[in-house]
Parts: sequence; structure tokens; C-alpha cells
Amino acid sequence: MEAYNIIKVKKGKKYFFRSTANQRIQHIILATCVIVLVLTGMPLKFHDASWAHYLYALFGGIKVAPIVHKTAGCILMILFVYHLIYLAYNIYAGQIAPLRKKKELSAGKLLKLLATLPFIPNRKDLDDIIQLFKYLFFLTDRKPGGDEFTWKNKFDYWAPFWGIPVLGISGLIMWNKEFATQFLPGEIINFALIAHSDEALLAALFLFIWHWYNVHFKTSVFPMGTVFITGYLSEKLMVEDHYEYYVKVMKKAGLEHEILPPHGSFAQESEQETPIRKESDSTPTDEKFKTYGSTKGGQPA
Amino acid sequence: MKLKRFNKFFFSCCGFFLLNLFFVTSFMVTDSLAADIGNCLLCHKYPGLSRIDEEGKFRLLYVNESIFANSVHAKVKCEGCHTDIKKIPHDPAKKVNCLSECHIIEPSSEQKFSHKEVATFLSKSVHAKLDEKQNPKKYAEDMPDCLDCHDNPLFRPLSFFKRVRPGISEMALGRCRVCHKKDEFIFRFYNHVTTRLHTTRSPKNIAEMCGRCHDDPKIVARHNLTTRAVFSYGETFHGKAANYLDERIPDCLDCHINRGKSVHQMLSHEDPLSITYDTNKSAICTNIECHPKATPRLANYKVHLELTPENSPKEYYFQLFFIALTGGTLLPLMGIMFLDLFRRLFPNIRITRRK
Repeated sequence: MEAYNIIKVKKGKKYFFRSTANQRIQHIILATCVIVLVLTGMPLKFHDASWAHYLYALFGGIKVAPIVHKTAGCILMILFVYHLIYLAYNIYAGQIAPLRKKKELSAGKLLKLLATLPFIPNRKDLDDIIQLFKYLFFLTDRKPGGDEFTWKNKFDYWAPFWGIPVLGISGLIMWNKEFATQFLPGEIINFALIAHSDEALLAALFLFIWHWYNVHFKTSVFPMGTVFITGYLSEKLMVEDHYEYYVKVMKKAGLEHEILPPHGSFAQESEQETPIRKESDSTPTDEKFKTYGSTKGGQPA
Repeated sequence: MKLKRFNKFFFSCCGFFLLNLFFVTSFMVTDSLAADIGNCLLCHKYPGLSRIDEEGKFRLLYVNESIFANSVHAKVKCEGCHTDIKKIPHDPAKKVNCLSECHIIEPSSEQKFSHKEVATFLSKSVHAKLDEKQNPKKYAEDMPDCLDCHDNPLFRPLSFFKRVRPGISEMALGRCRVCHKKDEFIFRFYNHVTTRLHTTRSPKNIAEMCGRCHDDPKIVARHNLTTRAVFSYGETFHGKAANYLDERIPDCLDCHINRGKSVHQMLSHEDPLSITYDTNKSAICTNIECHPKATPRLANYKVHLELTPENSPKEYYFQLFFIALTGGTLLPLMGIMFLDLFRRLFPNIRITRRK
């Protein structure tokens, strides 16, 4: 498995590891498929809209666009199955196998292990949401100090776990209606159409408004976030969204003296245990590229 | 020298243009030969010809010769339908009766041609004005007359049923010319035969035609119909594909007419002889041209699904769940987004003392 540096320094700026090449490729396939599916599906949902005929014509109209839609849907479902295998393998190889090796694996430990995986929602997420609302309503200047994966990341990650099966199964039923109605009642197609159509609209709005706002369009990232291409997040955004994890990683890399203050203007008031530096301070190294720490296959070493 | 060359070029262009004009106009003339023996177009060819009738309605009396010449009735004399007109200039013409015998001789029976048979079919269909006891049905005036569906569309000759492109096939014309010498005769009969081998309207046009009544809320309410049929058809993949001008997709007539019967013999879904009757309707979907591998279960798919708690409670609440899910997910997230943007744009607003 390829090893990744947790912190990279390029032209005096630090970048923090977020995702492996494998994960980025998965994400790009997911994103491409979703965009193609939305562009070839929404003209059917809104077939009376003036724009729908032009958009559908771009994909070959009624004769070709459904084929494009089904192809993208198949790729997405294969990707989903692959991701489940990938996830299971990584959890097994990274977490369960070492315990088995030490002969410390028990049902209780396994459950605890699964419940404390970094992408599983936890109490801290709830605290962060409460803190976020305080911040958004101007009750505090302190933003929630996000962990490696914030509640927003988890929401974005788990949403397709609901969406892809709902859309995939309903799509397969409508596509293979003769087969599906061999053992299911004909009304299932009505339910499949409602589920497919409405869930697709929810997914599209969720991704193109909420997800894109958070990763591309919010003022600190606009016009485009690059982490989905590079796999590394800038220090500024790490401080803004993942402050607790940022501090943890910096300490681990022996860079306590370079830790930036938390996001916002409350730095002076906040209780900081670690020495802080101003964002404008230069990094102690003038090297063009320097790395700290390493991680294997997305799992912090 | 240069001027001479230019003149030569200029005159060649003019010559070419005039030659083209000659061919185009001569084609248009031959193309627009309608059966106007009575010379009615002498007056009716003028686009502005119109009058206000006794009921105060504006009546356009103009006949577009080119459209008429390409219509299904191109070879019927004007007097063939307007039987009350005996002299020119004529008195106000009466409404045309589509069941009158016209001058054409039907070749198989050698009798005068008439649409009377259609009226017989229609009188036995769900669209009949009289009920089984020959009493006028309630709201009989809502039942369609000939012109409600037949707006005399242009010919749309084809090369075979739904899967083939419309238009005159050059290959087929070659075969006709083996025996028949006159192109005018060949075109006429090619059009006559091929337009009757398929519907002259696209599925979208047919749905729109039926929708004139079946999507009219007043008619739907008056006749206690459970659905706006064309609207609900439009929400299915068939309807959507029809809207995208798919010629292969089933339209109203494909599912509501018993195979091999005239479209005028449409029966109510409550009639045991109807293809849409509960125990017969599986034959619609499993038709060889549609879903031959399907089981009768497929026909239980509700094409005309009206999402109301009265008509389809299960589907209605299922959709309500997704609407609630969409609203319940997106509204809070949009709220957070809006507040986040506001907080970013106005970071220094003070509401209360900060902790």
C-alpha cells in the first residue's frame, strides 16, 4: 500500500493529507457518474421545462440519452460495490487483522472498534453542531474545532450509502421491468419511479448546493477546492474546518511551535495550551518541498 | 477583360438562378394540384377571405392550396363535402357532414365512398353519444365529433410501422415504377396506402389530441373520471419519451384499442370486451412489439396514477415520505448555508457578549 506524508510543505506552505489516490479516483468516478446521471435524468423528470429538450439533445435525445444514463448508473453501482469491498478490506487489514494477530479480538472489541472508526458519527459531531449554531447566531466567535472528519464530511459520505442503493435498485427495477415483475407486483414500478425520481432530486440538490458550497463555493475556498484532485488540504482550511485534528497532527509531527491560532478573531481570548503563531509568520524552512510523518493507505500511521 | 469575365459570371449566375426558379415553381405547381374542378380556389385562395357569421364568430374562409393538395382529402372535390353549394357565388355553406357519400368510388365494393361505417363503430364505443338503450348519455355534448380528433393532418407517408422513418421510400418507388408509369399516380397511391399503415400523428400529437378532453378538468369532473389521463400518461416513461418525439413509444391508441380493431371502437375499461378490462389488460403489455417476456403482473403497473390520498393512498404517502425527506434534509442545510454565508460576510456583528 502506498505511503502518504501527513504534512507536505510546498513553497513554504503546509498541506495536510486527506485522501489517497485510490480514494480520489473513486470520488472522481462517483462525481462524473452523478453529474452525467443528473444531466440525463433531470430532463426526463422535468420533461415539460423549456431547457429540458436542449439538454437532452446534448446527450443524443430519447434514443441515446437513456443508454448514457444506464451506463453511468451501472458504473456507479459497480463503484459502490467496489467501495464496500475496499472499505471492508481496509477495516480488516488496518484494524481487525492486527488485533487477531495479537489474539485480542473479541465481539465487544470488534463492536467498539467499528463504532469508533473515524467516519462513524459520534458525540463530538453533536457538540460541533451545537457549537456551529452558536457561532452562526453570533453567540460566540469560536468555530467548532473539527476532528479529522467533521459532521459535514460524515453527512456527505453517508448520504450516498442511502442514495445509491435507493436509486440503483429502483433504476434496475424500471430498467428490467419484465424480470422484476416475474416475482414482484406491477405496482412496484410506480413505487420505483417515485423513489428514483424524488431521491435523485434530493441527491442532486444536496450535492450541487450543500456539498459544492462547502467544498467549492464558500468564501474561503471559492472558486474551487482542489483537495479532490491533490488529496491535500491547505493549512488555512485545516485550521478552519479540522482544528482539533490539525493540532493533533502538528504535535505529532513535532511542529507545536508552528501551530496557527484557531479560526476567527477569538484567538486572544481562547485558552490555548499550545504556543501559537500568526498566520503571516513564515515556516521555519525555506525548502521548496518538505514532508512530515507518513500514513499508509489513508490510515494514519 | 476583367469586366467581360465578371459579366459572363454574372449572367451565368442569373441564368442558373432563373433555371432554378423555373424548376422550383414548376414543382410547386405540380405539387399543388388539388381536385378543384368547381374552381372554388378562384376566391378561396386569397388569405384574407373571411367573414363574421350570424353567431358573431370570425370565420376564415381561406384555403391554403398547397396544404389542401397534400391533405388526405386532396382528391375529393369541394362539392363532395359541401353538398349544399350548387352555384357560385354561393350562400353561406352548411356544416359539413362527414358521413355524406362523396364522389369517390370505393374500389373494392365499387360503391360511393362514405364514412358511415366509422359512425357505426363510434356509436358502439365508449365515446358514443347514445347509451345502449339509444337514450342520450349524460353530457352527450362532451363526446367527440369527427373534427374533434380529425384535424385533417398532412400526409406522413412511411416506410414501415413505428420503427421506420417517415417519408417516401425511393426504393419502394422503384418497385412501383415497374408496373405504373405515371409518378403522380404512384405518389398518390403510395401516400394513400402508407399513411393508413400507421398513425398519421406522432405519439405526442395523439396524446395532445386526447388531452383536449381527457385533461380538461371540467370534463374529467363531469364524467367522474379518476384521472387526467394524458397528464398521468405524461408522467410515465412512455409519456416522457413521447414528449421527446419518440415514434416507437406506445400512445393512447396502442393501449386502449383492441388489436386489429378500428380506433373508433374504443371501449370502456368496464366493458369485458375491452382490452383495458382488468382481466384482459395483460395482453396490452405482453404484445410482441412491446414486452413479450413480461408476465401479466406488469399490466398492474398504474399508467394513470393520480397521486391523491383518495385514488392511490400507498403511492401518495410514499411520495409524501420522499418530499418530507427532501424538505427535512435540505431546508436545515440551506439554513446553515445561509447563516454561514451571512456570518462570513458580516463577521464582526455583535449580538451579545462573547464567551
